[in-house]
Parts: sequence; C-alpha cells; structure tokens
Amino acid sequence: MYGSGVVKGLALTLKKFFSKKITEQYPEERPFIDHRWRGSLQLDKDACICCNMCVNACPNGVITLESGKDENNKRFLTRYEVNFERCLVCGLCVEACPKQCLKFTREYELATYFRDDVKLGLYHNPKLSAPSSTYAQKTEQKKEG
Amino acid sequence: MRTQEITVNLGPQHPSTHGVFRLVIHLDGEVATGGTSVLGYLHRGLEKLAESRTYPQFIPYTDRLDYLASMSNNLAYVQTVEKLMGIEVPERAEYLRVIFAELQRIASHMVGVGTFVMDLGAVTAVFYPFIHREKILDLFSMTCGGRLTYNYMRIGGLSHDIPEEFLPKLQEFLDYMRTALEEYHQLVTGNEIFLARTKGVGVITKEMAMSYGLSGPNVRASGVCYDVRKAHPYGIYDRFNFNVPVFESGDTFDRYMVRMIEMEESVKIIRQAIKDLPEGPVLGKVPKLIKPPAGEVYHSIENPKGELGFYIVSDGSPKPYRLHIRRPSFVNLGVLEEIIKGWKVADVIAILASLDIVLGEVDG
Ligand code: SF4
Ligand code: SF4
Repeated sequence: MYGSGVVKGLALTLKKFFSKKITEQYPEERPFIDHRWRGSLQLDKDACICCNMCVNACPNGVITLESGKDENNKRFLTRYEVNFERCLVCGLCVEACPKQCLKFTREYELATYFRDDVKLGLYHNPKLSAPSSTYAQKTEQKKEG
Repeated sequence: MRTQEITVNLGPQHPSTHGVFRLVIHLDGEVATGGTSVLGYLHRGLEKLAESRTYPQFIPYTDRLDYLASMSNNLAYVQTVEKLMGIEVPERAEYLRVIFAELQRIASHMVGVGTFVMDLGAVTAVFYPFIHREKILDLFSMTCGGRLTYNYMRIGGLSHDIPEEFLPKLQEFLDYMRTALEEYHQLVTGNEIFLARTKGVGVITKEMAMSYGLSGPNVRASGVCYDVRKAHPYGIYDRFNFNVPVFESGDTFDRYMVRMIEMEESVKIIRQAIKDLPEGPVLGKVPKLIKPPAGEVYHSIENPKGELGFYIVSDGSPKPYRLHIRRPSFVNLGVLEEIIKGWKVADVIAILASLDIVLGEVDG
C-alpha cells in the first residue's frame, strides 16, 4: 500500500516518543567525563626537572619555560606558560614528560571572556585542585569519580 | 516557460553546505542550469605546515582533515610513515587499529546518512544516527580522551592500550547496532517520500564515476567495485571476511544504501577482530627520533569518504621534505557541477549531501 512506509516510520517515532528520554539537561546535569579526558593542563612544578621535552614535543610551540640553577647545580623552574590559544590539545607534551608532572585535567568548560585569560600560567597558577586525568600515565592512578 | 536566468550564492555560510563551501548556482526559475564550486574558505595549508613539523608532530594535524573520521586519517598517515621506514607494528595494535577504523567508518556514515536525510527535509531522521554515533564517541573518548580529534595512532602502533571496560562496552554497542540499523531502515529507507526524492536523482554513471576519479561509497553506488581494503589490502585487512556493497544506478538513493550496508559490514569486521584480538604491547620498537631514509612513498587507505592517500618525500631529515594528501572529499566534489544540471534547488542540496563531503578535507 502506498504510504505504508511513512506510517511505519511514524510508528517508530511514536514508540520513541514514549520511551526514556536521553537528552542531558546540561548545565543542571553534568556529563560524565572520561578518566583519560584531555582538558586543560596542570603542572606539578616541584617535580618538573626543566628538561624541555614537553617544549620540543609540541607541534605548535605552545609551551614556554624558563629555569634557573640553584647552588647544587640543580635546575628549578621560574616560568611555565602555556599559550592555550594555539594548543591542539593533542597530548604529545604530556606523553613526552618523563616525570609525569605535566598532566591533563578533566575540565571541559574552558571558554573565557577575555583573551588574556586563555593563556595558562602554570607556574603561578598550578591548578592542582582540578580533577586530573590519567592520560598517558604508565601506572594507572586511583580513579576518581 | 522561459524565465530570466539568475545567479545565487549557496553558502559559504549555509548549514546545508556541510561547512564553508560556496556553490555559485545558475537558476532558470527553480531549476539549476549549472554551477561553480568555490573552495578554499577552510584552507589552512596543512601540506605546507607538515614541512615544518616532525613526523610524529604532524599526526594531530591529520585529525583536522576529515574531522568526522580523524581515526582513519591518523591511520593513513602513520601507515605511510611506517611504510617509508619499514617499521613493524605489533599484532595487538594492528587489530585495534582495524576495530577503531571500522568504528570510525560507522560514525562517519552515521553523520553522512543523517545529514543527507535532514537535507531532504526530515529533521527527525538526523537525531537517530547522532544518538548511535554518540556511543562510538564515548568508546573513543574513554580510550584516547578526545571526542573529535583523537590523535590516537602513533608511528609504530598506538598511543595507549584500551581500558578494561572498553571491550564489554564495544560488545554492547555491536548488539545495539543491529536494532539501530533496523530501526533506521524502518524510519527512512521504506518511506515513500524519501524514495520519491532520491530515486533517479543526481545520477552518476559508471563512466562518469571513473573519469572523475571518485572513490568510496560514491563510486561503489555507480557500479564500480573498488575498495582499497580489497584492491590493495593494507594492515591486516586481508584476514577479514567481509563484502563490499556495490549498487548499479548511481543515484542518491544508492549512495545512501551503500553507506547503510557498509555499516553492517563494519560491524562484521569488528566482531571478527574482537574474536582474534591478541594480547601484547601496542607500540612497536621505534627509534626515539623518527628519521626516515631519503626517498618517497605513497600509501592509501579506504577512508569512510573514499581513498585517502599520503605522499611523502623524505630527504632523510626529521621533517618531511614534501607532503601531499589525496583527499577523497575534494576529488569527489569535482563531479558536483555536472550532476546538478537540470535539478531543482531542493534536489541540488540533496545531491550535495549524498556525496558526503567534509570541508576540512576539501580545503586541506
Ligand atoms: S597538547 Fe599538544 S599543542 Fe597543546 S601544549 Fe601539549 S603538545 Fe602542545
Ligand atoms: S617534560 Fe615534564 S619534567 Fe620536562 S620540562 Fe616539561 S613538564 Fe618539566
């Protein structure tokens, strides 16, 4: 019968209309963010050995770091800046870090009102409170909810 | 009745052009008498950028080609470099690559058919495939932490192994896919309005398809059985048992059907790959500094949109001397100007959507 295809389709639509809703009511309902999520970056500045591996791994020259030397000839960090504007969020820097002190966070709402806020100064603002991601971690960390 | 010919700009900012594509279309009344495609709005010069990046650093840029199929783009590029350097890839990585490439094919076709049906005016029908695709994106993001730009493949293997909850979820998804596809056939394929709008519209003949160098579902809908997975098996595709759907008439309906059936075949391939998935490392032995020997290489794979090929010239340094990308969407788009002649504006939109182009790839 001509039109039976349309009716069949409408029957499905009707069935779906009465089935469970799947729309997520963002922002009241928060989405589940995976443990390996690549969000913003976070740095444990005391563990960093200033080896420049992250800087060299980055395809876009996003990371700038400056370091000084203390009396034992040990390097310490004086500046660590991520120009997030040009970051591809590719993760090559996190994978390259031998000390695993550079990490992704599981944040995802990264829009800012002002351009200057896009730059991440990880030295002065280490963002250690953000939920971190287990991306590129050799020993899987304890999973957080 | 003769009317005055008018020229209309379709795009570049128009939702039905699937990105920033402009079609200057000449109309006689409502009927298109010809058209010129204007490209380049999304051109970022990726080929040139590659010359100033090291080989591994270019992998995230390939994500930005066909951004609905980043995983497959990654695969094509890393396999090209592996071919140039003669790197062995561990078995487990090979199997996982097949699983991910096929999942990506399903995800890309979901968007392809969904937006195609939406461009015919059926907005409900775009949400169903997007729901299914969302499940694939969940699988991807749990593995590599990204939903669109995965940057998952590495020269010599993969960046990560799959998490333990991945395989059960994947099984669940494959079982779900059967009902999902059945439902979609029920919703769309038998619909008389859909059939009236697509059968016989925008026909690409076999000769035309071959002379324009089309590839992927577009060429298989025109009766040419060409699939790189069968014609020049790469990776471990020769170990799998699957069919390549070929249709004869080359109209928009056939292009839709090829995609629908390919999704079923992809599910088959993934099932076989899970069955044989070995244990072991996912990254092979690769030198710290990737420095291919001087020489050139071309390698192509079957992307969801068609044959994606990379041509690399190496001068022995850590950066490519020259890199060229054979981008299937770009080549497939060439035929558009010819096949829209004589169709109404609404059909032109449908024909464009049935070619399933992505502007990130067209413009490079
Ligand atoms: S994520 Fe990629 S682009 Fe961003 S800083 Fe790290 S290496 Fe650079
Ligand atoms: S790779 Fe890690 S340890 Fe080395 S400079 Fe970067 S953040 Fe510091």
